[in-house]
Amino acid sequence: MTDPYRPAITRREAVLRLSGTAVAAAAIGGGALVFHDRRSVSAVAANVPDWRLPIPNGVPRAAAARGSDPGINVRRAVAELGGMERFVRRGEVVLVKPNIAWDRLPEQAANTDPQVVAELVRLCLAAGARTVIVTDISCNDPLRCFARSGIGAAAGAAGAEVIETHRLRMVPAALPGLSAGLEVAEQVLRADRVINVPVVKHHNLCKVTLGMKNWFGVMGKGRNRLHQDINLALAELGATFRPTLTVVDATRVLAANGPVGGSLGDVRAVGAVAAGTDPVLCDAWGAAQLGLEPGSLPFVAEAERRGLGRADLALVKELGPS
Amino acid sequence: MSWTTRIRILYQAFFLVLFLWLLVRLAGGDPRAFPYSAYLHGDPLSAVGVTLAAGTLPGALIWALVLIGLTLLFGRVFCGWICPLGTLQQLSSWLLSPRSRRESLQVNRYRRWYALKSYILAALLVAALAGTLQSGLLDPLSLTARGLAAGVWPVLPGGRPVPGGWLAALLLLAIVVASRWIPRVFCRGFCPLGALLGVFSRFAVFRIHRTSDACNNCKLCAFACQGADEPLGNHRVSECHVCLNCLPGCPEQAMTYRALPPLPAPPPKPDLSRRYLFGTVLGAFAVAPLLRATGGGRAAATPRLIRPPGALGETEFLDRCVKCSLCQQACPTGALQPAIAQAGVEGFWTPVLVPRRGWCEFACTRCGEVCPTQAITRLTAARKTGYDGKPPVSIGTAFIDRGRCLPWAMSTPCIVCEEMCPTDPKAIWFEIADEPLRDGAARRVQRPRVDAAKCVGCGICENKCPVGEEAAIRVASVGETRDPLNRLLAGGNPS
Repeated sequence: MTDPYRPAITRREAVLRLSGTAVAAAAIGGGALVFHDRRSVSAVAANVPDWRLPIPNGVPRAAAARGSDPGINVRRAVAELGGMERFVRRGEVVLVKPNIAWDRLPEQAANTDPQVVAELVRLCLAAGARTVIVTDISCNDPLRCFARSGIGAAAGAAGAEVIETHRLRMVPAALPGLSAGLEVAEQVLRADRVINVPVVKHHNLCKVTLGMKNWFGVMGKGRNRLHQDINLALAELGATFRPTLTVVDATRVLAANGPVGGSLGDVRAVGAVAAGTDPVLCDAWGAAQLGLEPGSLPFVAEAERRGLGRADLALVKELGPS
Repeated sequence: MSWTTRIRILYQAFFLVLFLWLLVRLAGGDPRAFPYSAYLHGDPLSAVGVTLAAGTLPGALIWALVLIGLTLLFGRVFCGWICPLGTLQQLSSWLLSPRSRRESLQVNRYRRWYALKSYILAALLVAALAGTLQSGLLDPLSLTARGLAAGVWPVLPGGRPVPGGWLAALLLLAIVVASRWIPRVFCRGFCPLGALLGVFSRFAVFRIHRTSDACNNCKLCAFACQGADEPLGNHRVSECHVCLNCLPGCPEQAMTYRALPPLPAPPPKPDLSRRYLFGTVLGAFAVAPLLRATGGGRAAATPRLIRPPGALGETEFLDRCVKCSLCQQACPTGALQPAIAQAGVEGFWTPVLVPRRGWCEFACTRCGEVCPTQAITRLTAARKTGYDGKPPVSIGTAFIDRGRCLPWAMSTPCIVCEEMCPTDPKAIWFEIADEPLRDGAARRVQRPRVDAAKCVGCGICENKCPVGEEAAIRVASVGETRDPLNRLLAGGNPS
């Protein structure tokens, strides 16, 4: 019989209560397992992919076209390399990285020309790209930069997905050397192909800012530390970020007071665009548009020494005026 | 629910949503010229306060006449139908507090302490006349905008942190939560704008009228009375929010809202004690000189008191700023922050530019565009940048800290401040120097120097300086266009 000092419960109640306990234990345990991270490190640095495609023989490493219409210049230069179909495959996500760093108008030549960007977007879409993303991590207020550079509207009208800086997601990336520890926009790391579209501008530290310097615009806070050894940093960036294509915009070049500019007196109309698979050669060509001898630029020399490309202007196929 | 209540709720919802929508657009950096400051332009408390303090009624504040006219016609319809803070309180007292009819009758009775708002109004206006404008602290429109901009927006996606914003959030939250115990507690007891409108509503053409012959004193009219204005007794018209809840409440149809009803005898008077009012006025007269003499702020220019571009001189600025936070909400880089201590007690919550949070975008003029009282004057981009040929508008000057600067102190190359500088030519230039290294060798670096005549104090150099926490180049207010005495260089004043 039941002991009055130890009142018993029915079997049914015992089962119910024990199953309640079991459910609670399973919920807590399961929840802990779901959220448990054995490494105790939430962020894993992502690798920067290599976006290059193999180059067939007989195709120039870079081609430059001249003329008053920036869009036609882009088309001619890219066509000389075999057309955009060679660089973009059907269904791929392409990221176009112009310079949209400053709250300046196209005439002030502080940002990439909007027509160059729009033409690249159209070429990529025509080649079958699923999505073409146009983005940059601006130095000034991004909304003003994307609006006043004209790139937001032009790229959007051409069919690109324009992502303003504040909508980018920054993630830790496995960057070497001086840039170790910096974050990179996730949209860049996830793209299938990347086209780097710098504009030719004067810069007081590396003399001219071009494609390798343009990679600053995919990195987040702390990137300004890289100026401490800019030539080494640029070569490292060139070794880390390997674009499918580099398109150098020399429609207008900023000859002084760069990279922000402001005065139209510092802007020179060159009317040229170069496209190439050799980033070092592209930067060398860009420097030449500003009247600089590529061999005099330490970052070009350092990149060449590392085997990232050649700085021999004779390798650029000049198509001349259209 | 009766049709009057339905219509009122529609109006309240519309005006609350519009208020929130304008703030959201403003924060989104939308460059289109929406009437962001429309609510604050129509604020009679700001209009009267600024007029008393500054001796002039700035521009768009003339719209306050519309609200005064509306009140003279219909009574305090602003409080019952338009005010976002009133709607928020009404919402919370409705949501949080299921009451029995007995409790409702109890909480909606008039209390003597509701006269406090009239003393607050008197104190604020007298203080404004004596030279310190503090009406914005308790003005419901400024208070709500401030609470949402500094206390709610920072935690939403896309929001930026606002140090000190919790103060504004706490005040707004306290008001909304306290409405659970006393409905519309702020309107009834504290709101200086409501008290001011109450002065005008005493002359209102349309008012609530009780036909005493039909009334059987059932008290049903007082159950949902928002203003606690006792429609049953000697109706306190200056307390009435014109919520019209008493009309459908009356089973005998004794309550009407109509033009020019006969006035009850004796006509209602505000519940003010002459003795207390005298004390309030006297106290408020003492506050202004006390704040100026001991509160810090306007006596001398302060290095880190960097005001937005186009801001008036400190005295005129403080006479106009109603602390509404619109400029802070509008700033695209988040540079404008509420002053907690930088501007003295008087300048609490006035906007101050904090370069490490953001910089003054060179061609941006949004803060002046949204300022409801023109404490920050409107500038064109051409005027601000100096592209019109005259010197640009300066808010300060950058100074290099040679003990922290990489080229100056560490023999390490760096040019970020110069790279970012937006002026033409750049205010930062380089001196080439061979700086010593530890092993006895030298390294060639470019040492930055500031051309004070070119610097506009925008602060992008300080913001982007790679030296962590405290930058190696910092902006101080000296050289600001708005203060001819706070100068660095001899010669003609820029602009």
